[in-house]
Amino acid sequence: MVKTGTRRVLSLLAGAAVLIGATSASDAATVRVVLGYYSAATQGLFEEMAKDFNSKHPGDEVKIEVIQWDNLQQRLTTDIAGGTAPDISMIGTRWLLDYVKNDIAEPMDTYVTPEFKAGFIDAFLAPSTLDGKLYGLPIAASARAMYYNKDLLAKAGVNEPPTNWDGVVDTAKKIKALGGDSYGFALQGKEIETDAYWYYSLWTHGGEIIKDGKSGVASPEAVAALTLYKSMIDDGLTEPDPTGLNRQDIERLFKQGRVGMILTGPWLRGQIKTDAPTLNYAIAPIPEGTTKATYGVTDTLMVFKSSPNKELAMKFLMETVFTPEWRIKFSKAEGFLPVMKEEAKAFADDPQLTAFTDMLAYAHFAPAVANWEQMSDAIIAALQKTYTGQAKPEDALKEAAGTIDGLAQ
Amino acid sequence: MSRAATQSGTNLGRASTPYLLILPAILFSFWIIGYPIYDLAGMSLRQVNRFGLTAGFNDFNNYSRLFSHQLFIGCLIRTLVWTVCVVGGTVILSVPIALILNEKFYGRQLARVIIMLPWAVSLTMMGIVWRWSLNGQSGMVNATLYQFGLLKAPIEWLATAGTAFPILIGVGILVSVPFTVTVFLGGLSSLPSDIFEAAKIDGADGWQRFRHLTMPLLRPFLNLVLVLNFIYVFNSFPLIWVMTQGDPANSTDILVTWLYKLAFRYGELGMASALSVVMFLILLALTITYAMLAMRNERST
Repeated sequence: MVKTGTRRVLSLLAGAAVLIGATSASDAATVRVVLGYYSAATQGLFEEMAKDFNSKHPGDEVKIEVIQWDNLQQRLTTDIAGGTAPDISMIGTRWLLDYVKNDIAEPMDTYVTPEFKAGFIDAFLAPSTLDGKLYGLPIAASARAMYYNKDLLAKAGVNEPPTNWDGVVDTAKKIKALGGDSYGFALQGKEIETDAYWYYSLWTHGGEIIKDGKSGVASPEAVAALTLYKSMIDDGLTEPDPTGLNRQDIERLFKQGRVGMILTGPWLRGQIKTDAPTLNYAIAPIPEGTTKATYGVTDTLMVFKSSPNKELAMKFLMETVFTPEWRIKFSKAEGFLPVMKEEAKAFADDPQLTAFTDMLAYAHFAPAVANWEQMSDAIIAALQKTYTGQAKPEDALKEAAGTIDGLAQ
Repeated sequence: MSRAATQSGTNLGRASTPYLLILPAILFSFWIIGYPIYDLAGMSLRQVNRFGLTAGFNDFNNYSRLFSHQLFIGCLIRTLVWTVCVVGGTVILSVPIALILNEKFYGRQLARVIIMLPWAVSLTMMGIVWRWSLNGQSGMVNATLYQFGLLKAPIEWLATAGTAFPILIGVGILVSVPFTVTVFLGGLSSLPSDIFEAAKIDGADGWQRFRHLTMPLLRPFLNLVLVLNFIYVFNSFPLIWVMTQGDPANSTDILVTWLYKLAFRYGELGMASALSVVMFLILLALTITYAMLAMRNERST
């Protein structure tokens, strides 16, 4: 007891000495970075980056903090309101508009060189550019595609993956005819990205979420897109009661080999590698309706206007985070798409990844409008009302469109 | 202060001394409790941006938007149904459980521990465990039903409000029982045993003793349990949030889950603070009404 006591006192003294040393050293700066949690690798990866940067800038320090995505927005809101915002934060790019409108995000144009900016893949840099000004750098990007279970499709007598929705319905019918507890097409009905699962259908039917500042979710294309999903539920081509399953639930069904086709992002490849290595699957484009489409999503690193160390924060981003070396490590560990041209070369011979990157030309992004979260929740409510049979597609979507138009004013 | 000084004080002085002594503590509590409420009320009257920065007064715009919101009435009604059902169910279950645990029987200590266990687990974990159990494809509930041949196709228990809301209420009752049983047990052990002996000798049967002795004597404890549980359940967030997040289509949202969405998902901090004030006033009114009724009852008996 006594021994540990003295040891504790000694270590406290040592700690105090370090603190005094740190505060007396002149113009040493600390950059606080708040990140969203992607996987168990996130924290370690960024701490390595911080260490690398610290060694090149002795005296200065980068501090990494990783937070669950569910809590990130709440945490930043309270920090900003309390005047303790970090220097750099990861945010969903769709939140950026709110940060820019409230004068919280620092424009980056004066810090970045044209060469640095040109290193990014344009499609992923575009969502962080508002009114011609750059407010963030895309850290993680994904597009969506269709994963299909080769064995299940072969058993149902389908050897080529369907390329359009008629083919999806047809294939799902054949899988249903096999009996057993397998489902043709996975449909997500609750929590995060429930709306995105329907946008695949909406966009490929030629619809738009927002068109000329007005809601497009009650357009004939949108109604057709939702009617398709509803008819698949009613015909038993999806799992029963989709409103009981979130994204992880349907991904788990796919990993168990119980789903023929699922629409999701590149992260599922990594999960299958560890959770279901024997699963015989392949990746195909999102099925077409009248047109091709996929959902492009980026997360952004932004710098706060309130930060006293903006120069240093930008240096950390430009000299470490967005260098090919660290980008490749990041994309390998987290399983996202490359966002920089140099980095993309390292993944050029990965055929599964090209299934995603090939679709980038048709990628739609979440609209850059204020109140987007509230709008997407209105859409999710409409989808859930339809999936549970509480409302007809057209009526549910009209209600959501009314809400969106009200919020857009 | 010397004894002489106290003695020479007037009656008025003597009467006010204790009040003077506790005055700092009272002021301090008022400040600690009152300031956040004052701040909140102020926020609810102003224009607030999504990062909590306030601008000028906005003519009760937050309140008018709140009351005219299409989800407000639905959430209010569900909150009342949720609170009344959970509190009512908890009390109805807890009285017999407390009576049984108050009897002397073999294994009573173990039974008491088992009843208390849910209390030791955080509400969030409870929610997560139930959410897993009720999963339609891989949950323990459906697996059990399959085993007994009671199920042909999977049931997604949390997929519709028709099954999800009653289940949430059931879990709500389960987690509220331990606290309530504890209060009742404390009450029961403080009851004087001689009047029960006397009643027994006078020939009162078990039901009569329960009806005319136990229940009236437990009244103060019942009041305590009702008020505390009402406030607690009315504001209870974790269970519903973890299990359904108010889905599908807001059909299991109560005021407090909607409040969270308004504040932190939608950035409607003005409307959210107005809703908090409304919830505070509802609870305040109910508590005062109930306290007055309970006091009048106590005086008349």
